[in-house]
Amino acid sequence: MTPIDGDTIVARATARGIAAIAMIRLSGPDALDIAQNCFSGTDLSAKESHTAHVGFMQSVLKNDLDQVVVTIFRAPKTVTGENVVEITCHGGELVSHRILDAIIQAGARPAEPGEFTQRAFLNGKMDLAQAEAVSELIHSGSRRAHTISLAHLKGSYSVLLHDLREEMLDMCGFIELELDFAEEDVEFADKARLSDLLERTKALLKRLIESYRYGAVVRDGIRIVLAGRPNAGKSTLLNALVGFDRAIVSEIPGTTRDEIGEEAEYEGIRLRFMDTAGLRKSGDEIESEGVRRAEASIRKADVLMYVYDATIGLEEEEQEFLDDLKKNESDLHIFVVRNKCDLLDGETAVDGEHSLSALRAMNDESLVIPLLSDIVKSVEEDDSYGEGSYVVTNERHRYHLGEAYEAIVSAMNGLSADMTGEVIALDLRLAMKELGAITGATATEEILDRIFSRFCIGK
Amino acid sequence: MSKYLDYDIIVVGAGHAGSEAAAAAARIGARTLLITMNLEAIGKMSCNPAIGGIGKGQIAREIDALGGIMGRITDYAGIQFRMLNKKKGPAVWSPRAQCDRQLYAQGVRRELESIEKLYMRADTVTEILVTEGCVQGVRTQLGREYSAGAVILTSGTFMNGTIHIGEKQFGGGRMGEKASSGVTASLQEIGFESGRLKTGTPPRVDGRTIDYQSVEEQPGDPEASPFSFMTDALPKKQRCCWLTYTNATVHDILRTGFDRSPMFVGRIQGQGPRYCPSIEDKIDRFADKDRHQLFLEPEGWHTEEVYVNGFSTSLPEETQSEALRSVAGLENVHMLRPGYAIEYDYFPPYQVRYSLETKRVDRLYFAGQINGTTGYEEAAAQGIMAGINAARSLKDLPPIVLSRSEAYIGVLIDDLVAKGTDEPYRMFTSRAEHRILLRQDNSDSRLTPLGRDIGLVDDERMKRFDERQEAIRQTRINVESTTISPEVINDYLASVGTSSIEQPEKLTKLAVRPQVSLKNIIDYAKLREEIVVEGPGLEAVETLVEIELKYAGYVKREQALVAQMVKLDSFPIPRNIDFSRLDHIAMEAREKLNKIQPESIGQASRISGVSPADISVLMVMLKKRQLGSHAD
Repeated sequence: MTPIDGDTIVARATARGIAAIAMIRLSGPDALDIAQNCFSGTDLSAKESHTAHVGFMQSVLKNDLDQVVVTIFRAPKTVTGENVVEITCHGGELVSHRILDAIIQAGARPAEPGEFTQRAFLNGKMDLAQAEAVSELIHSGSRRAHTISLAHLKGSYSVLLHDLREEMLDMCGFIELELDFAEEDVEFADKARLSDLLERTKALLKRLIESYRYGAVVRDGIRIVLAGRPNAGKSTLLNALVGFDRAIVSEIPGTTRDEIGEEAEYEGIRLRFMDTAGLRKSGDEIESEGVRRAEASIRKADVLMYVYDATIGLEEEEQEFLDDLKKNESDLHIFVVRNKCDLLDGETAVDGEHSLSALRAMNDESLVIPLLSDIVKSVEEDDSYGEGSYVVTNERHRYHLGEAYEAIVSAMNGLSADMTGEVIALDLRLAMKELGAITGATATEEILDRIFSRFCIGK
Repeated sequence: MSKYLDYDIIVVGAGHAGSEAAAAAARIGARTLLITMNLEAIGKMSCNPAIGGIGKGQIAREIDALGGIMGRITDYAGIQFRMLNKKKGPAVWSPRAQCDRQLYAQGVRRELESIEKLYMRADTVTEILVTEGCVQGVRTQLGREYSAGAVILTSGTFMNGTIHIGEKQFGGGRMGEKASSGVTASLQEIGFESGRLKTGTPPRVDGRTIDYQSVEEQPGDPEASPFSFMTDALPKKQRCCWLTYTNATVHDILRTGFDRSPMFVGRIQGQGPRYCPSIEDKIDRFADKDRHQLFLEPEGWHTEEVYVNGFSTSLPEETQSEALRSVAGLENVHMLRPGYAIEYDYFPPYQVRYSLETKRVDRLYFAGQINGTTGYEEAAAQGIMAGINAARSLKDLPPIVLSRSEAYIGVLIDDLVAKGTDEPYRMFTSRAEHRILLRQDNSDSRLTPLGRDIGLVDDERMKRFDERQEAIRQTRINVESTTISPEVINDYLASVGTSSIEQPEKLTKLAVRPQVSLKNIIDYAKLREEIVVEGPGLEAVETLVEIELKYAGYVKREQALVAQMVKLDSFPIPRNIDFSRLDHIAMEAREKLNKIQPESIGQASRISGVSPADISVLMVMLKKRQLGSHAD
């Protein structure tokens, strides 16, 4: 956690959890540019320091994430002495998490614990009272976040991380052995062996990184959007799913105009439901705005629960809509719910769809259990989450693992281009350093220890 | 006080640390007294007759670039020169030379005698004289008190040295030389903490009793590389070394002595170096390895004495002799001197500052094995820095501290001071995170201008340095402006297995290809006269340019990393802070900080057990303190 000229850091400045608003802070020379890349509002570069601007934060794919207030502070009169941008967004985990993700993808690095303070200190921006307050803050946070070592990491994540570290130590050991002990009578790793070690390390890193998405699910919950034609019974289903009345239910199509957030918990996973206005082309202005929002919600969701009226059947237009989604939103899990089955003469099931009666389910929870169970399973069993039991939940960890991955890939390229050991060692060292940011310091000593314990060194 | 007893600087010990320290201090202008127990042992190579090796060769080059003596004496006394790791990248190329042991010592003595302000005295220092936390001088066995503004202690293995051979155990600083006593106790009394380390040396044998037909010859490099930037020519003739191996019988014989091994029965308490284990340690720890290599190294031009490298041992003499006689080529060998282990006092190096001045006593400096290192080069590096800094302190100049990105010497001292060591510390290239920058080929451009500022680089060296840099610069410009056409070079490119070119290509573009040698291209295309500006020194100028070109991208990357650290290193921590009172720092970190008393935030961040969060808190605390003191 050393300040690098040219490096811009980002972190949530407000505490985690549900609150009305959350604030995300960037600091560094590129803070304004990076914020601008994620901001659909005004041209920040043209604005004066210490001014606030309303607009939408956007993902890399330019989807709106949230309406925010962006306040810019130009160096040196800022809290850290560097360019600072503060983004005030709506409260809640998901919103701030996605904004953070977008900003990191735009080039910022998650701040290490205490790093804003350090920068403020290095730039001479701290008075006595601030110093008191901040040291308290770091102190209380540090017991949790800073003493992270393998021993403190719980569960199978730590096992995998431990394996990863062992593989990397081995690899560095082999490379350094040849560089520092060329005169010794020991067998050096050949290219195939190194390349095998690199492959294994890369695969382990990949699994960990991919588990982050699942980790986000564990932390933030599964975001489930209910969609369907007006009056297909979405609101009734939502009520059945969360167990009590919340959505306005009426016989008039198009009653639900706003997204309605509800939560339930199933098998320890938070399920966050979003009811949407019915998807139909409507002359009603309020409702078409609702439809637009529903479409936006779907893009942000992990799961789409598409509800249709079994007495009417799935219309061609709806099928096209679903097919389009399947094609364009590969990350989205789609469940089709065939509602109002109680109104059919014989209850016939349709393959790949959930047939049920939301109305009956209101009084009988067990009727929605298979659906909930399938949703949770679909996300847990998603191949892209690796083996499922390894979960990275911390965005800082994810970042360092990602950097380590890049370094390993670079080392592999070096190896295949016949670069010499000391150059490949540069990448391996970098990878080790990134891993060290998660597991605690990794040092040359450990690599040397490994060499001495495995090889008979010394004339 | 008589001038005979009064000096600016006293250096205690005349090994590799003491010689460099005395030479540096005196050449900077300090009236320097070098006290050694035995004037005949000045500059003695106590163990293997070689300078350099991987990591160590780079240090030797740095000492030379600063204006030290080691490089020139190695070139003078060398009998075989090699550049190790030549198959790998230039960052790990490391010069090594076998030396004539006697010639080396003679060279050091002659060098020291040539320095005007340097005086020598044969005596044994028994006490360091200290008043009110500042060094005053030394007291000797002969009862004399010598006074000085600064004292540099380079005791090697002599302080309370104990030699072990099998069940025999006796006091000694080297075989046949007495140990010294008194100094450790006098320092402990002031509050220094001391520890014990162990090292060992193999037997020496009579070359006339070696069957050279049964061992493998190891010649030097045909194109030898010198150690010193001042050397123009090396001896045309070189001596070769020989390689043989132990075998199962040798191991069995050695095992019969294990019950009398001072190491295995626990008589030796001091920690030995893991990378230089005794032969008994090797066969014990790596029992499945059925042979170990032994290098037979000649001790000089005109002697039959041979050093059995790889056979360091403290087993009983008869076991050593019998085991050696089961080694191929050594069936009839006559042992001139048995191997032995030696235990000695050291002072864990957290007790010195980056200047190598002790934290407890002003103007007392430690260098070499006393700080827990092993190796001639490591010792000499500390010696020259201690000599420089002691001399500067008397002129009230700030100490010279090399950073980890400037020199292996910086890595060495930072490791010692920030991390400490509990086994004899040896340099490896892997200890230097910026090794791409710290090459043996560029030691002069890294350090000679600094050596000039310090006052160790004379006009002659500076002139050569400038000429060399100019030759490199000119050659580089010529290389950069040269374009080569396909018909001239495609045959060469094909011969080294790299793709041919269609259009005329810039020479710089071709030179960065891993398979290509700039030197060979230049010769193949007959461009030498056009491109290469010859400069002084044995290394080809175009090779230096090629290294720069090939590493350019990596060097840039490293420099970015270096910039991070520089900022932290430039934040000083005031002396005498009571870290134990900083509640918001983890307990382990507080203890470490209190023990090591780091001098900068950068150093604090390299102490194991101190987390980034602790560093942040520390910074805030420092700021508070600073603000608080302004308020007073």
